[in-house]
Amino acid sequence: MNELALKEFLYKIADDQLILGHRNSEWTGFGPLLEEDIAFSSMAQDKVGQSQALYEILHTLGEQSPDTVAFMRNANQFHNCILTELPNGEYDFSLIRHFLYDTALAIRFDMLTKSSFKPLAELATKIRGELKYHTLHANTWVKQLGSATPESIERLQNSLEYALPFALGIFEKSPFENDIISAGIFEGEDVLKSKWKTKVEEIITQTKLRLPDVSSMTPIEGGRVGKHSEHLQPLLDEMSEVFKIDPTAEW
Amino acid sequence: MPGQVLPKAPLDQFGTFEVFVQPKDGKPFQHEGAVHAPNIEMAYVLAKETFTRRFVCSSLYVVDTRMVYVSPMTENTTNAYDTIVDVPQQSGTRVKFEIYHLLKRGKQHIHAGTVEAVTPQEAMLAAKAQLRGDKLLYNVWAIRTSDIRFTTPEEKDLWITLPEKKFRDASDYKGGDKLKEFLERAK
Repeated sequence: MNELALKEFLYKIADDQLILGHRNSEWTGFGPLLEEDIAFSSMAQDKVGQSQALYEILHTLGEQSPDTVAFMRNANQFHNCILTELPNGEYDFSLIRHFLYDTALAIRFDMLTKSSFKPLAELATKIRGELKYHTLHANTWVKQLGSATPESIERLQNSLEYALPFALGIFEKSPFENDIISAGIFEGEDVLKSKWKTKVEEIITQTKLRLPDVSSMTPIEGGRVGKHSEHLQPLLDEMSEVFKIDPTAEW
Repeated sequence: MPGQVLPKAPLDQFGTFEVFVQPKDGKPFQHEGAVHAPNIEMAYVLAKETFTRRFVCSSLYVVDTRMVYVSPMTENTTNAYDTIVDVPQQSGTRVKFEIYHLLKRGKQHIHAGTVEAVTPQEAMLAAKAQLRGDKLLYNVWAIRTSDIRFTTPEEKDLWITLPEKKFRDASDYKGGDKLKEFLERAK
């Protein structure tokens, strides 16, 4: 097995989870209602926890400790897609991002339950309940606000149109895509994207939202190879601020 | 028309839904509190993290607060079942009701069993005959089973990683020990 390919694959999923987990945690204390504030914060915590589990696997493959890789890298060393680093904006955007991203993530991990790389297959099986809740949460909100009032529908529609090209960046292929597929680690981004499209359509058709034709859209890519928007470095600076005061501190 | 007097809107926020949690398979469901939500499905989604983000949980369900029927509340001299007024048998379709008992003031209502009846009043009487037991009860609830949004069998794995989330318990950080250690070092 090409170990570099495997590491790159693990990093991109872990980085997606850490960066979006941190972004979503910025809603803590500002959610639209108390119950939702708690739910969104809990899911953000799940994401950070899942990133840690992936960094632990990377650590067993010789990478630095989870805290070091999470807090000590610069933006150009992160493999997350640009969608995850975008500022939260209004809640409509955060919800649509959550929906588009977590739909893909849940399918990715469902596919990974059959991965030839056992630690990943085991993790995928273990966290299936967390992912099931995240998609239940996202689908329920999108169905609710996507049919509720003219304002909620319009706001979700605008966010959907804005987020989709970034969401397509989730499926940006790494230079090792073929190695990953041939080693049986993962069936590949194309398979994932096609399953994702079906699922997104299935939910959106239950609302008053219109799904633009994604096949004619240009994906916004670059994140997987370390080319990020201007939003990532400030996020990393803030996330690692306390850690960097004393990296040896025990919390 | 300017100057016209209008009634205040009946609700200026979301309505509430009652949340019931089963901590472990085989244990009874217990009332945990209420969530605000625009509908029952949203209530289920919001109840999960509001009431089961720590410790253990095997199942959860929610019901519109307006669908919960309550007996008079008593103090520790009268059994709540003795306050239920007898009614003649009703005609109509018998349906299932979930019965909850309050055994102590300040505690939560605990699931006592299921009865069949036509109305909530009749359900309380059926429960009085079937589920009363020896203990003094402060309050009884009856909820039509069909009004409940249950956890489906496919959703049972929502909580499988919950026992590992120790980082949500303040005690797991052993803050007291760390402070003591710090103070010792400072001496």
